[in-house]
Amino acid sequence: MSNLASDEELPTGVLDNREDHSPGDEPLEDAGHWVRHANLGLTLSILLTAGAFFLAGSNIIYGPAVPIALIVLAIAQMGVHLVFFLHITTGPDNTNNVLALAFGILVVFLIVIGSIWIMDHLMQNMMPTRMEDMMQMQP
Amino acid sequence: MFGKLDLSAVPLSEPIPLITSAVVILVALGVLVLITVRGWWPYLWHDWITSVDHKRIGIMYCLLGVLMLIRGFADAIMMRTQQAVAINAEGYLTPEHYNQIFTAHGTIMILFGAMPLVLGFMNFLVPLQLGVRDVAFPTFNSVGFWLTASGALLINISLLIGEFARTGWLPYPPLSETAYSPGVGVDYYLWAVQISGIGTLITGINIVTTVLKMRCPGMSYLRMPVFTWTALASCLLIVAVFPVLTATLAMLTLDRYVGWHYFTNTAGGNPMMFVNLIWAWGHPEVYILILPAFGIFSEIFSTFSGKPLFGYRSMVAATLFICVVSLLVWLHHFFTMGAGAAVNTFFGISSSIIAVGTGVKIYNWIFTMYGGRVRFEVPMLWSMGFIFTFIIGGLTGVLLAIPPADFVTHNSLFLVAHFHNVIIGGVVFAIFAGAEFWFPKAFGFRLYAGWGKVAFWCAFIGFWVTFTPLYILGLEGMTRRLQHINVPEWGPWLYVSVVGVAILIVGVVAQVVQLVVSIRDRELLRDVTGDPWDGRSLEWATPSPPPFFNFAVMPNVEGEEAYWGIKLRAIETQQLAPEPKYAPIEMPVHSPVGVYTAFFATVFGFAMIWHIWWLAIVALVAAFAGFVVFAWRDVHEFEVPAEEVARAERARRASREALLRKLSEEGALP
Repeated sequence: MSNLASDEELPTGVLDNREDHSPGDEPLEDAGHWVRHANLGLTLSILLTAGAFFLAGSNIIYGPAVPIALIVLAIAQMGVHLVFFLHITTGPDNTNNVLALAFGILVVFLIVIGSIWIMDHLMQNMMPTRMEDMMQMQP
Repeated sequence: MFGKLDLSAVPLSEPIPLITSAVVILVALGVLVLITVRGWWPYLWHDWITSVDHKRIGIMYCLLGVLMLIRGFADAIMMRTQQAVAINAEGYLTPEHYNQIFTAHGTIMILFGAMPLVLGFMNFLVPLQLGVRDVAFPTFNSVGFWLTASGALLINISLLIGEFARTGWLPYPPLSETAYSPGVGVDYYLWAVQISGIGTLITGINIVTTVLKMRCPGMSYLRMPVFTWTALASCLLIVAVFPVLTATLAMLTLDRYVGWHYFTNTAGGNPMMFVNLIWAWGHPEVYILILPAFGIFSEIFSTFSGKPLFGYRSMVAATLFICVVSLLVWLHHFFTMGAGAAVNTFFGISSSIIAVGTGVKIYNWIFTMYGGRVRFEVPMLWSMGFIFTFIIGGLTGVLLAIPPADFVTHNSLFLVAHFHNVIIGGVVFAIFAGAEFWFPKAFGFRLYAGWGKVAFWCAFIGFWVTFTPLYILGLEGMTRRLQHINVPEWGPWLYVSVVGVAILIVGVVAQVVQLVVSIRDRELLRDVTGDPWDGRSLEWATPSPPPFFNFAVMPNVEGEEAYWGIKLRAIETQQLAPEPKYAPIEMPVHSPVGVYTAFFATVFGFAMIWHIWWLAIVALVAAFAGFVVFAWRDVHEFEVPAEEVARAERARRASREALLRKLSEEGALP
C-alpha cells in the first residue's frame, strides 16, 4: 500500500506498481506480453490434457500408478491455469491474490480432508459386519 | 400446463395459515393502494427499488430482516403455546402443521431474518467506515439484495400455496428425500435457500472486494474500524462456505428431481454425507452472523466509554482466529452420528479452543469500559446485556463441546436453549443495539430513548424467563421439536416459558411504539450535527443522513479512529481543516437489473417447485436476458457537478462549525 505522505500523485487511470492489482487489472502497455503468456499457457494445458488421456490409455507406466500420475497432471494443470490465465505471480502487486488463493486452498483442504476423515470414521461404533472383525472383538 | 399445481394446493381446511395469508395479502394490498393513491411509485422506483446506493440497499436489507424476524417470532409464539397446552393433549396444531412451523421458524430466523440484517449493517457501514463512496460492485449489490428478497418471498408463498418442509431447518435425508417427503415442502425450502444463497454470496464477494481494494487514502488495514474487520472476516467465510451449501442442496435437489442417489440409503448413497456437508457450511454460518455482531458491540463499547477500544490489535487477531477455526469445528453438531473417539476428541477440543478467541474479545470489551466515562444510552444497555447473556451462552456451548456431555444433551431443549442464548444474546441484541446506534445516521433523527429502554429490559428479562426453563427441561430429558408432551412434570416449566414469551411480546410492541413515537417527534430528535453520539469512526464525519456520494472529498486518514483524530485536531485548533478544492464526482447510475433478475428468479423457483417446466425455462431465459442487456449498457456513471458537491459539503461544514462552537462552550477542550 502506498499510504506515505511522500507518495507523488499518479495521473488517473495509471496503476501504481506498488499497489495491489486484481486479475485483469494490469496496465495496458503489457497487453502484448499477456497474449504471448496466454498462448504459452494454452499450449501447456493442451499438452497436459493430452498427456493425461495418453497415459490412461497406454501402459508406459506401471498400471496402479496411473491414478497418481493423473492427479499429478491435474495439479500441474491447476498451476498452469493460475499462472498463465489468472496471472498469479509472486510480485508485490499480487499479495491479495496469493492470500486469497492460500485461503481458498486452506478451506478446500480442511473441508475435503475433514470430510474424508469423518466419513471414514463413522463405522467405529457400528456392529462389525465381517466375521474376522467379529472374532477380533472377542477378549 | 401447471405441473403439480392445482386448487388443492391451498390448505382450505387449515384456518391458521389461511387467515394469516389473508391478513398479509390485505395489508400488502392496502400498502400498494396507499402508494398508488399518494403517487409514491416514481419515488420508490427511482430512489429505492432500482437504487444501487449501498446505504439504500443496506436499509432495504434491514427492513426485509425485520419483517422476517416478526414472521419467525409469530412461529415461535405458536410453538411455545402449543407445547404449553399439549401436555397429555393434542394442542391446537396438528403434527403436520407443527413440523412446518419449527422448520419455517429456523429457516426464516437464520437465513431471512438474521442474515439480511447483518448484511444490511455491512452494506450500510463498510463503505462509510472506509471513507469511500460505494461498494466495489454497486449493481451487483442490488442483484444480491433482490435475490435474498426473492427467497424470502418464496418461503412466504408456501404459507398459502402448498406447504413448507417438515424436516427441520436443515433438511436431513432420508426424511427429506422424495420417499418420505413427497410434497412440495422440501422443494420450497431448496429453491428459496438456493436463490437467497446466491444473493448472500454476491454480497460477500462485494464486501471482501470493497475492503481489500477500495479504502480511502491512509486507511491501512490496521486503521480500519473493528466492525469493518469483522465484516471482512464474515464475508471471507461467506465466500468460503456458501458454495458448500449451494453444492449440498444441489445434490439433494438432484436426488429429489431426477432420482439420483447422493443421500439415499440405497444404490450407494449416504445420508450421513449430507449431515457432514451441511454442517461444514452450517457452523461457519453461525460465525458469519456473530462476527459482525462482535464488530457492532466493539464500536458501541468504545464510543459510549469515550475511549479507544482496548486491545485493538488483539481484537483483530481474535476475529481472524475465529474466522479460521470456525472452519474446523463442524462435527460438534453430530458427535452422536457414529464417529469414533479420535474424531470426536479432535472436534471437541477445537470447539473449546474457539471460545478462547471470544474470551479475548469479552475481556477487551470489559477493559474498554474500565476507566472510561460510560454513558448508559440504549445501545450501551443492549451491549452490557449482551456481555452477561453471551457469557452464559458461551459457557453452555463449551459444555456441549465435550462429546460425552453432548451425548446426554444432544437434540434436547438444553441445546435449543444454548443456541438461542448465543444467537438472541449475541446477534439479535447486536442488531437492536446497532439499530439504535446508527438509526440517526441512516434517517437523520434519533430514536426515542425511553421506549428503547423499555424494549431492552423486556427483551433481556423475557429472554431469561423464556429460555432458563428450557435449559432445565433439557437436563430433565425433554427433546426438541415435540408436538405434544406426555410428562406432566414438565408442565410448570413450559408455562414459565410462555410467560417469558409474553414479556418478549411486550418488548416487541415497545420497539414498534418507539419507532412510531420517534417518527412523530422527529423534529425534536433531529440530529443536526451528524455526530449524535460523539463517535470515533468515519461514518460520523458525514451529515445525517449522508449524501448519496458519502464524502465530498476523500478523507485522509492519519491514524486509528480516523474521525476522532479529525475531531481532536478541530477542537485543538478551534477550526475545521481548510476548505478543499471541489471536483465533480462520478457515481454509478441506478439500474432495474436487480429487481428484474429477482422477479424472474422467483418465477423460476416457483415453477421448479411445482414442476411447471416450460415456465421455468422461460423465466431462466428472461433472467439471463436481463444480464445480457445489462452487460451491453453504454452509460454506467453520471457526474455530480462540483457545485452540488460544494453545496453539500458547505452545509456539512456549517453544521460542524456549530458543533465545534457548542463543544468549546461546554468546555470540552483538551
